[in-house]
Amino acid sequence: MDFDTDLKMAIYGHFAESAKSPTVFEMASALSAPEKEIFEGYGRLADQRVLVLNPDGETIRMAPPFAGIPTQHRVRVGDKEYFANCAWDALGIPAALHANAEIYSRCEQSKQPLHIVLEGRPFPVPCVIHFAVPAAQWWDDIVYT
Amino acid sequence: MLFFRSEEMVNEWCEANFTPRQPLIELDQLWNLSKAWYGNRMTPEARRPGPEEMREIFAKCGLEGPFWDPLSDHFG
Repeated sequence: MDFDTDLKMAIYGHFAESAKSPTVFEMASALSAPEKEIFEGYGRLADQRVLVLNPDGETIRMAPPFAGIPTQHRVRVGDKEYFANCAWDALGIPAALHANAEIYSRCEQSKQPLHIVLEGRPFPVPCVIHFAVPAAQWWDDIVYT
Repeated sequence: MLFFRSEEMVNEWCEANFTPRQPLIELDQLWNLSKAWYGNRMTPEARRPGPEEMREIFAKCGLEGPFWDPLSDHFG
C-alpha cells in the first residue's frame, strides 16, 4: 500500500478501536513517519474528500462515518460509543463495522430522544430522515447537509 | 441529514428555520444507503464513489431525480 492508504487505514483503525479522533502524534507513531508527513497526508486525504479537517488544518473533524468531535448522534457498538456526523452516518457506523448497534439521537424539531436498535437491520420506530441539501451541493459545506 | 419523529415535525422545522422542505427518506432506505455507501469503508480499497456510482447507489435505494443527482444544477 502507498503512504496515503496506510495513513487512511491507520486513521480509520484508530477511530474504530478507540472511538476517538487520532492525534498527529499517534499517527506518526503508528506509521513511523515524521509528523510533517502526517500533516501533508491529511491534506491530500482531505483533497480526496476522505477526511474533513478542523479549521486548524491539523486535526480531523470527520472521517465519515466517524465524527472527530462530539455530536448529537451517539452510536453504541459493543462496549464502545462513537459520535456520528449526521443521521446517515449514525447508520453508517454499524454499516462500516458490520456490527449491531444502538443509536441515540433526537428529533430535531421536538428534541425528543430517538433510540434506534439495529440488529441486522433497524427495528422500526416512528422516524423519518430529512436531507436538507441536494447531493450536488453536499461538499459546498459538508458540515451542513 | 437529521432525524425527525414525523413528517409533521419536518414541516414545522423547515418553516421555523426558513429551510426548503426536501425529500424524506425512511429508516430502512437509510440503512440500505448506509450499507451501500459505507460497507467497505474499513478496507484499503474504500474511496468516495464517483458520480455514476452515486447515481447507481441512490437508484438502488429508490432515490432518484434531480435532488439525488450529484451533477445536477437543477433542484426543482
